[in-house]
Amino acid sequence: MTEPTFTGWVRRRSTSLRVKVADAVARILITVAGLATIVAVAGMCVFLVAVVIPLFLPGKVEVEPVRPPLHDAAGRPPVHLELDEYQTLGVAVFADGEAAAFDPRSGAVLERRKLAGDAVPTAMGFAPTGGIGMLGFADGTVRQVALRFAAEFIEPSRIEPEFRGLAVGESKVRDRGAVQRTPSGSFRAQVFAPVVRDPVKVSEHPIRLVDLSMQASGPIFAAFSEDGRLHVQAVTVIRNMMTRAETQRLSGGSLEVDLAAQGGRLPAHLLLEGRADSALLAWADGMALRVDTRDRATPAVAESFRLLDEAGASVTAMGFLIGKTTVVVGDSFGRVSTWFRARPSDPAALQGLVDGSRFERVHLLPGAGRGAVEAIAASSRTRMLAAGFAEGDARLYFVTNERLLAECPPPAGQVAPIAAIAIAPKDDALYAASRDGLWSWRLDIPHPQTTLASIFGKVWYEGYERPEHVWQSSAGTDEFEPKFGLIPLIFGSLKATLYAMLFGTPLAILAAIYTSEFMHPSTRARVKPAIEIMASLPSVVLGFLAALVFAPIVERAVPAIVVTVFTVPFMVLLGAHLWQFLPTARATRLAGLRIPAALLAAAAGALLAFVLAPAVERWCFGGDLMAWLSARPGGTGDAARFASGAGGWLFILLPLAAIVTWRVQARRLATIRHATAGMPRPRAAAVSMLVFLGSSGATLLIAWAMGLVLDAVGFDPRGGVVDTYVQRNALVVGFVMGFAVIPIIYTIAEDALSSVPEHLRSGSLGLGATPWQTATRIVVPTAMSGIFSAVMIGLGRAVGETMIVLMAAGNTPILEWNIFSGFRTLSANIAVELPEAVQHSTEYRMLFLAALSLFVLTFVVNTFAEAVRQRFRKRAFAL
Amino acid sequence: MTAVAPTPALASSRSGRRAASGATMLAAGEPVAWLMAAGLGLALVMISGLLALVLWNGGTTFWPGPIVELRTLDGATLLGEEFRRERYRPDETLLADQSAAVRTAAAQALSGDGWTSRSLLRTANFDVTGTHFTWISDYEIVPDSVGRPEWAIGIERLEFGRFFGFPLRGEEDRRVVAEGEAATWAWFEAHHREVRRLWEERRDLETHEVGGVNRALESERLRLRGIELREGIPAEWVVAWSDLLRTRRGGSAEEIESARTRLAEIEAAGFVPTDRFRAAAAEFEAEEATLNDRFVELTGEIARLDAAMDRFVMVLRTVDGVEKSIPLAEIVRAIPQNQLGVGGRLLVFLDRWREFLLDGPREANSEGGVFPAIFGTVAMTLIMTLAVVPFGVLAALYLREYAKGGAVISAVRIAVNNLAGVPSIVFGVFGLGFFCYVVGASIDQLLFEAKLPNPTFGKGGLLWSSLTLALLTLPVVIVATEEALAAVPRSMREGSYACGASKWQTIRRIVLPRALPGIMTGAILAMARGAGEVAPLMLVGAVKLAPELPIDGVAPFVHPERSFMHLGFHIYDLGFQSQNSEAAKPMVFTTTLLLIVLIALLNLIAIWLRSRLRRRFAGSQF
Repeated sequence: MTEPTFTGWVRRRSTSLRVKVADAVARILITVAGLATIVAVAGMCVFLVAVVIPLFLPGKVEVEPVRPPLHDAAGRPPVHLELDEYQTLGVAVFADGEAAAFDPRSGAVLERRKLAGDAVPTAMGFAPTGGIGMLGFADGTVRQVALRFAAEFIEPSRIEPEFRGLAVGESKVRDRGAVQRTPSGSFRAQVFAPVVRDPVKVSEHPIRLVDLSMQASGPIFAAFSEDGRLHVQAVTVIRNMMTRAETQRLSGGSLEVDLAAQGGRLPAHLLLEGRADSALLAWADGMALRVDTRDRATPAVAESFRLLDEAGASVTAMGFLIGKTTVVVGDSFGRVSTWFRARPSDPAALQGLVDGSRFERVHLLPGAGRGAVEAIAASSRTRMLAAGFAEGDARLYFVTNERLLAECPPPAGQVAPIAAIAIAPKDDALYAASRDGLWSWRLDIPHPQTTLASIFGKVWYEGYERPEHVWQSSAGTDEFEPKFGLIPLIFGSLKATLYAMLFGTPLAILAAIYTSEFMHPSTRARVKPAIEIMASLPSVVLGFLAALVFAPIVERAVPAIVVTVFTVPFMVLLGAHLWQFLPTARATRLAGLRIPAALLAAAAGALLAFVLAPAVERWCFGGDLMAWLSARPGGTGDAARFASGAGGWLFILLPLAAIVTWRVQARRLATIRHATAGMPRPRAAAVSMLVFLGSSGATLLIAWAMGLVLDAVGFDPRGGVVDTYVQRNALVVGFVMGFAVIPIIYTIAEDALSSVPEHLRSGSLGLGATPWQTATRIVVPTAMSGIFSAVMIGLGRAVGETMIVLMAAGNTPILEWNIFSGFRTLSANIAVELPEAVQHSTEYRMLFLAALSLFVLTFVVNTFAEAVRQRFRKRAFAL
Repeated sequence: MTAVAPTPALASSRSGRRAASGATMLAAGEPVAWLMAAGLGLALVMISGLLALVLWNGGTTFWPGPIVELRTLDGATLLGEEFRRERYRPDETLLADQSAAVRTAAAQALSGDGWTSRSLLRTANFDVTGTHFTWISDYEIVPDSVGRPEWAIGIERLEFGRFFGFPLRGEEDRRVVAEGEAATWAWFEAHHREVRRLWEERRDLETHEVGGVNRALESERLRLRGIELREGIPAEWVVAWSDLLRTRRGGSAEEIESARTRLAEIEAAGFVPTDRFRAAAAEFEAEEATLNDRFVELTGEIARLDAAMDRFVMVLRTVDGVEKSIPLAEIVRAIPQNQLGVGGRLLVFLDRWREFLLDGPREANSEGGVFPAIFGTVAMTLIMTLAVVPFGVLAALYLREYAKGGAVISAVRIAVNNLAGVPSIVFGVFGLGFFCYVVGASIDQLLFEAKLPNPTFGKGGLLWSSLTLALLTLPVVIVATEEALAAVPRSMREGSYACGASKWQTIRRIVLPRALPGIMTGAILAMARGAGEVAPLMLVGAVKLAPELPIDGVAPFVHPERSFMHLGFHIYDLGFQSQNSEAAKPMVFTTTLLLIVLIALLNLIAIWLRSRLRRRFAGSQF
């Protein structure tokens, strides 16, 4: 096929295999790796979403087969259920005072015990968690009980051979208790071991209702006896050192409840709050009486109110949530509502309240169940609540966000009312006892407390005056409820961005216009990289300087800094007007000195501010700005100095007034120009100066007058954009973060301005326009979209900046615009909390949600900016 | 009128030449131009001011200043280095607590505008006085009492921060061998170097030898645990067996006997290990015994060195007359600060810089050096570069050379561009969730099961930090490479194709070499960005103190799973988590200076490359 040419070389007609293979390999490799890289980037977003999604998934509930009923000698179902942490053993308490340990899987009773010997209790009360309760008797005594389990660990070699085959987590009945294999390989054997204390006498009459609350000092209980008295007693256990015998001593008092007012009927429910500060007596018809028990010797009625609105409804079940602060009320229509004591938010309502708070219905849980609410149980780790109904079904609610987590239908064919219900301690199962059987449901609800509404809306948390946006993810106690409202963090991010942009944007854009329009190209080539160096400054450095260098300086010079904001522009403008007195020729020759001259003027402005600051502080802020910020209008005596808000208004309104006078002056500009047209330069400059000074004075006057008016009308600036000073605040962050975004905005805006075609400028200048007119009328409008996208990109950078806000913003998640207070941003919050968050916990996923929000936010802003920039580029090329 | 015709613009105005000057003056917009000039000027002043601030504070940290002695009106005598000076206005509550003498002096000093100056005196001697610093207002000082005692010595030691005092005597084996200031100082100079050599020897023994024994023991244990897991040995037997080993080493006869009975009981119940495990256990037992012997030997050696060092103790007197004995081994550096000339100070200055750059930190990072942080930063940046450059270049090649243009590709391009604007902390979150908890945990399951539940790769570490930052800087590399590829003239490609080259040959021989400087610029910019980034590292592996470097002399030499120290994180930690934050501040400044210099260097290299690249392209058009 190939033939030798005259040179003797063989001419190759086809590409060699090696080249072909290399080409194919390169193509495949580059395509695969390139696509993989791009997919990896997209994968990041997908991964974040995948972590976040479980937050919003509904839980799974699975009903398990019926087991034989638990009942006492008289065939009655239990009144209280309790389970151990691993669901290997359960305890049912019956009305006759008997407690039965049972195997939750088979329902078989393993052991029966009389809690109080042969005495039959007349009243029973159990805390929502821990199996702690109190029994009341006909002889007027009460006994404290704790339904405990005794655990023992057994090595595999020592346990009976029939248990050795158990898999990890599996359990089996072992004589009167149960044995379970632990992950470490050994066996945990548990038996029911209740603790019952000796009886204590409180009354001569039978006890009808009883409840107790455990304090560090010992239990405190409330008991209602048949004669209509409410007894509140603290129990102190005294241990005899010699005999080791324990005696219980009571201290407290009682209150005669006016039963006649309730039609002579006895109350049906008695609840004692967690800190034993108040007790609640409720009647079946919905009347309730709250007794203030802070002073236990003399309990007093605090308020009386109705728990139910409609006639015909009756309270059928009541209980507490974990922490014994929120009261749950179930009624005969199957509705469940929760109540707690809250401070009324309006001061007028505070009058007449004994302890400054009143009971309010906080949540009405959604939907009504079938039949009356028969039993209520609280989770021992979250604000989850289970209610059992008269027709055998149960419902799971999350109280704080008013979410119906799951409807639990009874096992097929069962309709008996639920007598007692319990949530397993790990929130992974629900048990209900009825007269026809023991039922249970497997629960898998990993994130019950997060809904879109609870993350982004106001939520009424326990102990708060009203629904609020709160982020508070951890605290010291088990009873604490984490509060995951993202709004304070988003607000923090926006606040930081706003103040940073307020400072950075004008400076960056002014600098960009000057660089591109007024500067000699050779100087420009040197100035631009200098500002770009700023962009490569690590933000941790800026954060450190902000927090440890600037914050203390700013704190000492707040009045001067406030004044500086106005004196610097004023002095620069004044300098410019003085400059106008220079003859044209000289001014043109000296144009290169504009920057030093302007800086000199700015320095003079700063100096002026420091000179003026003490006087301004005296005139406007009662002599002490810090004290003025913390004070409130209406102060008397020494605080009267700080009563007026007019001084603050002056400074807040100055920019507004400046804009107003500037607009007015701009309207009249043509007139002034005509007026000065015939004058020689010095006279024109003098007129211009007069106009400037006049409008400056007018600005000041307008702002002052408006401030006085606003103050007289009763508005005060404090509590809004200015308020109590904190060392790490938005002013410092705004300054330093503005500093961080200046180079980004500057570079992109300058690029946009420079890419305006030169012929437009030449044309404008050729028509006799000055450089200033060319800049404002031709170049800037043409480059507007480019400048806009520069601002947007700067904004995107400011929103996600982490180190500066982490170090200089104080990290308090509060919702106020106050420039002198701190905040917590999404990014700083992630940096603070993620290292401590447990993988896959609600907090972990919430922080991923915060990251996803940041991702989406910046991605949207940047894409928008990018699209605008592309359009601008196309247009600039077309010109 | 003369023959000179006015310009058209002037002709149109009503009153000729004079009018023009006034009209153009207003049209020149001088005031706003001044505002712009001030904006630009302020931006420039702020950058240079900031750099100057860091340079000055960071640069002067290590310069030993004089030690001053002064008396206050309250009768206290203070000795220390002036740390900072500021003007302030003392308020009345502050003055109310002072003695009458101070109040009179204050009233006199403040009679003007109420302002005065105060100095922050580093009085040190934390173990004696309980403070490191004291504020002294000018009016509190007894006039003319300020002096610079010749024999005031500043001591940097291993614990409790610095010490300022006067040498009293030198002791060897509790016997006084030198007395008086000059004699003691001479004695100190004669012995300090030798004692420090011993101290260093001891430190090396502790970190390398003892550390090596511990590592060997740990790896033996892990090997045994691996066999235990593979062979399914009953945990109970292993526990009882290690109890037996432990009691044999230091238990009484009964304890040994009871452990042995327990083991027999377990075996009787049917929990018997395999023969292979028994053999491995016996081997482990023997190995542990040898290692233990070695350990005892090393402990003896360390005790010997300790004894040799602890012989030398210098006794100093604080300015209040308290005597304080400091073992020579604890003294890192002692400087008679008031006797030094400029040359002497310069030597101390340079020595402190050497320590800062080459040594590890001490005193909770507030003293000593930052070598591990420099090392960690550099190692992390290098691994990041190795990861980001190939993938960034491949992605750019794909986008620019292989992908068929279209809406999808331009969307991808916009997305890549925008990724550069995604907050760095988001990458950190992703890195923690994906690299550490998903990839790392899987690796642990597969390869490091014996170590579980302690994570090896399933936590933050050097590798994950590098990969996270690689992802963060990927857009920088992609954009820079794309621009460099686009800048290669089409004519060159076409020429190459015309000569019969294949696509890959063209890319490899023509396009890539031309684009290389641009790609390198991108890589260096990525390095600069990566080196300064801190927020994601807080989540994926930077720690305040890492006991071991991520690359060392122990096989396999590179330990990508280890946590590491980082200059940026060091700044954050030192400035915010430090207990003695005032003393740590100069160190923060110095670290900041170091980081800025590092990043500025990288940026300058990038700028230089960019300008070279431009020059090269100027003539490459055919």
